[in-house]
Amino acid sequence: MDEKGDVTLQKCGVRFKPPTLVIVYAHNDTGKLRKRSMPVRLLKQESKVSQVAEELCQHPKHGMYLKKIPLWQLEKMLCLMQNKLKGLSLDESLEATTQEYSINANEDLNKLDDEALEKKKTVMSESFEKNRKKPGDLDYVYDIEVDFNSVNASGQSEWDSD
Amino acid sequence: MSMADGKSPDYDQESKSGDTTVKVICLGDSAVGKSKLVERFLMDNYQPQQLSTYALTLFRYHTKLNEDNVCVDFWDTAGQERFSNMHPSYYHQAHACILVFDVSRKVTYKNLPMWLKELRDYRPEIPCLCAANKIDVDYKITQKSFNFAKKQGMPFYFVSASDGTNVVKLFRDAINAAVSYKNNSTDYMDEVMRELETFNSMGLTDSGFDTPDGAENKSITDGPSIS
Repeated sequence: MDEKGDVTLQKCGVRFKPPTLVIVYAHNDTGKLRKRSMPVRLLKQESKVSQVAEELCQHPKHGMYLKKIPLWQLEKMLCLMQNKLKGLSLDESLEATTQEYSINANEDLNKLDDEALEKKKTVMSESFEKNRKKPGDLDYVYDIEVDFNSVNASGQSEWDSD
Repeated sequence: MSMADGKSPDYDQESKSGDTTVKVICLGDSAVGKSKLVERFLMDNYQPQQLSTYALTLFRYHTKLNEDNVCVDFWDTAGQERFSNMHPSYYHQAHACILVFDVSRKVTYKNLPMWLKELRDYRPEIPCLCAANKIDVDYKITQKSFNFAKKQGMPFYFVSASDGTNVVKLFRDAINAAVSYKNNSTDYMDEVMRELETFNSMGLTDSGFDTPDGAENKSITDGPSIS
């Protein structure tokens, strides 16, 4: 039944013992809610969460549900589990992962290492993919030109004033 | 012009086919979308080339400009901007620069003067175009004006690598600027290099006026590698 018809994700979360992803979703045709628990056995203290997330999305049974979670959110939940394995408190862990998986307009990303920068890019790619127009889309145009200069009426960017 | 050896092409020489060859570089903070912009412009129409010596990627693109064949190499930083300074080879012989910031992150705008300064240390005269990327995140930003480009006398573009707005225009303008710069260069070093070449072609190479053979190029092809 689950494999047929489309579903809409409602909620997702983590359980620490044992490390488990939990999602609640609704069947689009019936509106019925279901809960699905997915143990994450391959996550270790030294695992790279982006790789674990990728493998989970390929899982024959769980993959189709996990792909519906924004990738950065899936990675963030895996980070929470990993921090638990490392012995961090939940408060510390939430603070750290929230910082890692959010975009601060004043944070200089030039100073991050590869893995930390990748996390930021994963967050950014959500809006990139959401707004993306690519070949094959009905409204895709290769050379799309818009003249904004005639309409910028609301004045100077406040970024210039300090 | 072969890059099979993983070394940088010499952009001051004409290619074997006689086509005009220009080098266009992208500058700006990490994650402002430099690679995404190049990819959006080229779509599938490119041959990526790896310059193994410098851990850089460049994208070669062929086009026509007023009946002439033009070969454009777009250079991408490949994350090098995170090691504070770009390697000099990145700027070497560049004919135009696209300077990019992210309209959703103030720090990337505030860092533009730093990038421009570094560019001007190496290439005082080449045309530079300023691109405000990621306008798709919030189109309201396009109602604002940004002073930096105007103050520096640079053309300014609101663009989105995601939905494609103004990307093709930006790159076509950059190619035009690069080609016309190459054809009527006023850059001091380029003038000097041209004078030297004239001396050489006048057969004065043995008269003692010449500089050591290929001194300029040597620093590029045999420079230290970045890893």
